[in-house]
Amino acid sequence: MRRAALAGVLLFGSTVLWAQQGRAPGNRPGAGAAPPSAQAQAPYDPSGYWVSLITQNWRFRMVAKGPGDYIGAPINAEAKKVADAWTPAAAAAAARTCEAYGGAIIMWLPERLHISWQDANDLRVDTDAGMQTRVLHFMSAAGGARAGAEAAGPAQPPADMQPSRQGYSVARWVLPAGAQRGGRPAAVGAPRYGSLQVTTDHMLPGLLAKNGIPYDGNAKKTEWWDLRKESTGEQWLSISTTVLDPHYLTRPYIYDPVFQKEPDGAKWDPSPCSAL
Amino acid sequence: MKRNPVGFVVLLCGTMLYTGAVLAQVDLSGDWALASDTTDAGTGRVADDFAGIPLNAQGRAAGLAWTADEQQELQRQCEPWGPDYIITGLWGGRFTAVRDRFGTVHGWNVTISVYDRLPMVIWTDGRAPPSPEALHTYGGYTSGKWEGDTLVTLTTHLKDDFLERNGTPSSNQETFEMFMTPHGDQMAITGVVRDPVYLAAPWVIAGTLARRVDTGGAVNNSVLYCMPAELQAVSDGYHAGGELPNQIKTLEMYQTEHYNIPLDAALGGPQTQYPEFRKRMLSEGYKPPKEYCKIVCCDFTSRVCSSN
Repeated sequence: MRRAALAGVLLFGSTVLWAQQGRAPGNRPGAGAAPPSAQAQAPYDPSGYWVSLITQNWRFRMVAKGPGDYIGAPINAEAKKVADAWTPAAAAAAARTCEAYGGAIIMWLPERLHISWQDANDLRVDTDAGMQTRVLHFMSAAGGARAGAEAAGPAQPPADMQPSRQGYSVARWVLPAGAQRGGRPAAVGAPRYGSLQVTTDHMLPGLLAKNGIPYDGNAKKTEWWDLRKESTGEQWLSISTTVLDPHYLTRPYIYDPVFQKEPDGAKWDPSPCSAL
Repeated sequence: MKRNPVGFVVLLCGTMLYTGAVLAQVDLSGDWALASDTTDAGTGRVADDFAGIPLNAQGRAAGLAWTADEQQELQRQCEPWGPDYIITGLWGGRFTAVRDRFGTVHGWNVTISVYDRLPMVIWTDGRAPPSPEALHTYGGYTSGKWEGDTLVTLTTHLKDDFLERNGTPSSNQETFEMFMTPHGDQMAITGVVRDPVYLAAPWVIAGTLARRVDTGGAVNNSVLYCMPAELQAVSDGYHAGGELPNQIKTLEMYQTEHYNIPLDAALGGPQTQYPEFRKRMLSEGYKPPKEYCKIVCCDFTSRVCSSN
């Protein structure tokens, strides 16, 4: 009797341990089956139309700053020297107004986003402000980060990759520790959670503000996209963004755009880059 | 002494279950400080600048009636800011787990080292909320629940206070919701302020805190005391000490001199937070100021502007 009870308790304990580890035999990721696509693995679907909410730092985001106004950006002396020499007339004459719509700053502008799956592993982000396009290239599911992991460097882009205005972005879903370990599918109808990590480099030099604050071509950007969802149906996409530019910045430049979900593209209004 | 293997295994299983439950929580412990663009949180908005804040008519009137002198009144000097100050202020906070004697985490205590914001306990153990008639304080009552690795909190029971240091009002009906998601040594926080008295729509703000490892315990390690004292009337250079409420002329002067922002933008409202408002300004002929910046022109951490 005691042995039976002991066996039962041991069986229960093993089950508990197995459940905590999330390693059911035959349920492990990569056991013969193809890894799920980024779209299939997504804890939330970011596709649709979103509008930026300019609720903070309004006067530095909604309108162009005046000359010499560099507040908000942790620039070094060399950046100040470059910005001091910048004039909107020269920029307009050289048709360089889109420099202020580059990858380092594009998501901080007042704008709408149209996000769509280009294919199962590439997420396309169009902006109506400046009519820019980003493509987020997902790493394979097996390359997903553990929860809370440090931002990792992006996978190597193609060898012949040329710098571009929006650069080259590598994305991956970062799932909570439990979901990441076992790779078990969530129960039907159960909420799924996770963040999207995006790292971007290979950007052309550009401007952090329309009054000439520069960023370098070697700048790198890391974003954490978090969906904030209410039971009432309201949805916000919050993007914690860190720009590293040792050439022009004294420390990482961090900003946090918030986008509100819109029901459709009725207010989508593409407009060219503007100097104002 | 006779050993009982069944009891031992039951204890082992219980330990595994308990350990799993504890490890399932994300550890927020440590000192965190605001790392985002610190323009609004550091230098701050000037008086009467409510652009992007969805004030209703009552909120606008209350905001315009405020003057910087109010903060110098003896009875007001020690009024702390509300819980949203974790995003709108620079300090962040020290997060410490609230545990019982068995080590179970019941919540998170968030303190800062200055008397700017009261300590906040985020209760995550599902305890019953206080009665609506319970005491309202500047810290309020905060509950939280985990959704994946995100701690979702709701603060209620707040007193009348301010959302920003320029007199943007908040009422005792305000609620503050936070979504806190740690990403390694950073923590992304989205805050949603709702106030049926002063806001026409939710005010959604966000910030990133960074884990501080170099403070040597000098930051966020204690609550200092506030000692009210007689002070001279302050001036931001645009408001006279004896200024009357609703004297918007000073605001017009400020905006025209430095930013050329239309008056209706500075007065706030839900419409001011959308891109359409910018397009309207441009269509009405907005031009950036031509005069070279002379006052507060650089981030206070970069120190490349001699005027700072």
